[in-house]
Amino acid sequence: MISQKSNRRNFLSETGKLAGGGWLALNTPMLLAAGHAAEAHRASEKGWANMTAQEAAAFAAVADQIIPPDDTPGASDAGVVYFIDNVLGGFMTGAGGMLRQGLADLDAASIEAVPGSSGFAALTFEQQTGLLQAIETTSFFNTMIFLTHCGMFSMPSWGGNRDRVGWHMLGFDNRHAWQPPFGYYDALADAGENS
Amino acid sequence: MVFDTRKEVDFVIIGSGASGGILAKELSTAGFDVVVLEQGPYRTAADFSHDEMKVMMQREMTSHPGWSDPQTFRHAASEKATVKSSGPPPALYARGVGGSSVHFTANYWRLHPVDFKERSLLGEISGTGFTDWPINYEELEPYYSKVDWEIGVSGAPGPFDPPRSRPYPVPPLPLKSSGALLEKGAKKLGLHPQAAPMAILSQPYNNRPSCMHCGFCMGFGCEANAKSSTLATMIPLAEATGRCEIRPLSTVFRIETNAAGRVTEVAYLDAQGAQQAQKAKAVIVAANGGETPRLLLMSESSKFPNGLANSSGLVGKYLMANAHSRINAFFDEQLNEYKSVQVTRIVHDFYDNDPARGFYGGGGIDARPFIQGSPMMFALDGLPPDAPRWGKAHKDLLRHNYTRRLSLLGSCTSLALESNNITLDPELKDAAGRPAMRITYSDHADDLAMAGFLQDRSVEIMEAAGANTIWREPVSKTDVLAHLLGTCRMGNDPTTSVVDPFHRSHDVPNLFVCDGSSLVTSGRGQPTMTIQALAFRAAEHITKFARGGEI
Repeated sequence: MISQKSNRRNFLSETGKLAGGGWLALNTPMLLAAGHAAEAHRASEKGWANMTAQEAAAFAAVADQIIPPDDTPGASDAGVVYFIDNVLGGFMTGAGGMLRQGLADLDAASIEAVPGSSGFAALTFEQQTGLLQAIETTSFFNTMIFLTHCGMFSMPSWGGNRDRVGWHMLGFDNRHAWQPPFGYYDALADAGENS
Repeated sequence: MVFDTRKEVDFVIIGSGASGGILAKELSTAGFDVVVLEQGPYRTAADFSHDEMKVMMQREMTSHPGWSDPQTFRHAASEKATVKSSGPPPALYARGVGGSSVHFTANYWRLHPVDFKERSLLGEISGTGFTDWPINYEELEPYYSKVDWEIGVSGAPGPFDPPRSRPYPVPPLPLKSSGALLEKGAKKLGLHPQAAPMAILSQPYNNRPSCMHCGFCMGFGCEANAKSSTLATMIPLAEATGRCEIRPLSTVFRIETNAAGRVTEVAYLDAQGAQQAQKAKAVIVAANGGETPRLLLMSESSKFPNGLANSSGLVGKYLMANAHSRINAFFDEQLNEYKSVQVTRIVHDFYDNDPARGFYGGGGIDARPFIQGSPMMFALDGLPPDAPRWGKAHKDLLRHNYTRRLSLLGSCTSLALESNNITLDPELKDAAGRPAMRITYSDHADDLAMAGFLQDRSVEIMEAAGANTIWREPVSKTDVLAHLLGTCRMGNDPTTSVVDPFHRSHDVPNLFVCDGSSLVTSGRGQPTMTIQALAFRAAEHITKFARGGEI
């Protein structure tokens, strides 16, 4: 399969616009402190700093659509909402309004699609998937994809990736030292079978 | 060692990176008093981490600590240059003691003899500033060997390598699966893959440990001091002389000159933002091929109305970035590219120009995880463009392929064009009040053709190696320049070059310029080895000049 790359780059560019300026302006020691505070905050289970409980439930439902739970944990199990709560108080502050509006729109669409429901988080998994398919190209959903992946696979100190479940999912182990052979093909070459 | 700013030191060096670090060590060990002004912070190995949010997203290394230092970019002078709304800055380099040698990948290719005299061999290329160097390979060779031994380079001779006077001090780094697959595919095609020369230690050397293969290398600082940055190698030796002060968080905004046209002092903002000036007998600008011309242009005066050392009008011109191509591939078995250094094998079969290709150029191919080796960057940008972006199928692709992915990078020539340059933005200023760096850059058609050629070969190599999925990144005009070369080119003629063959500016006798800006041609894509060989050579000559009263 040979193909040209375009969609993913546009997506990264789109999400980068929201966050770029904030990142550049950040002060490193403050950021580090915020990171460790986020991990401690998650552990303390004291609730949310930058969102309501209802918003947190909706963020969790959207994040689980992006990386769903199956035989391994999904995004909400990994604590991605804690990551989002953390960065909404940091470099993603500027996107907070857009994200909250996106959740409100999603809740409104949910109630319209399923009369009598209380919002997106209350729908079935399949119903949620259908609603998100309709908004796949929006800034809201692209930003949610971006944040879900950042939260799931970044250092646990940022609030997500609880117990390193994101890294376990990928097969990544954050060690500081490895020894060869590193993988299948270099081991094969060392055995003289790679000519 | 702390010098009084009012004391006239022997040398002020602006920049502590690949070249500045070497100049600081060489001149201080030669007995001179040296102050190094570095705009970034003084990090050490203990400050480096695997934190992708901090290093890759927040751009801890490449953004200016404490304030915004925007750059503007355009492809042509007919466009208005603007600040990019996202992505890396157009002139991408690391700020901090050790400069970009701290975060680089550490590919250490020498130039070949042909790189110094290709204009004479091939003739003129219309519309370009393609020209010969005033020095040749034989003259630079001892200093390449000096880099190998003093900086610490791992490697083994390859079939296309230029002559060397000494062997590598330490053997190549252990093979990774990406290197094994490049080797397998290339050999099937009759090519000649070789061990990659890398400025990362494969064995303990010069009181530094060998690489632990932690995998956080390209873009990250080395927590073990095994990567041979000037931070790990030269700076400690310079400081140990007791004659060298590294002054971090010092942002230079002007080089002052007197009525006689000589440099007298360097004005900068200190860590608190207060204006300071360090007096010096001579100044060496080693701020990189972007910041060096920016500073010279900012240092204009009635005596030097077009900028310091710019009687030729060439300060900032002939910017070269090296063109690149990339493909990505998945394999059936696990590579685990998150471990160890980026590159272990390269292909140099396409180094030389070949008229049969129909365009000028040459380059090399390497195999590496690229920035998608680390987990978050892979999750964000590691799958093919047609892969689902969310949901169960997306999750399945992520978890199956993280350990099964690699990239092949093609790196090649950039032709020198006067229209590719660094200028001062006429409107935008940074937080220090300095005019923003304005980059104007369009890869020459031949550079893009060469990058495309390397990409085609890369696809063939991965097909031969048995990849189950291959996809290309589009080859197009770049707007991110990780190599900043050629903007104060070296030459014998003051009307067609900025510095002489010993890096002394033609216009100001006690002003030297030595960094990527000195390069006359771009080489084939990995410039740091050459920048450092030039720095060792320059230091030797500057020492002679200073001792002989010739500065």
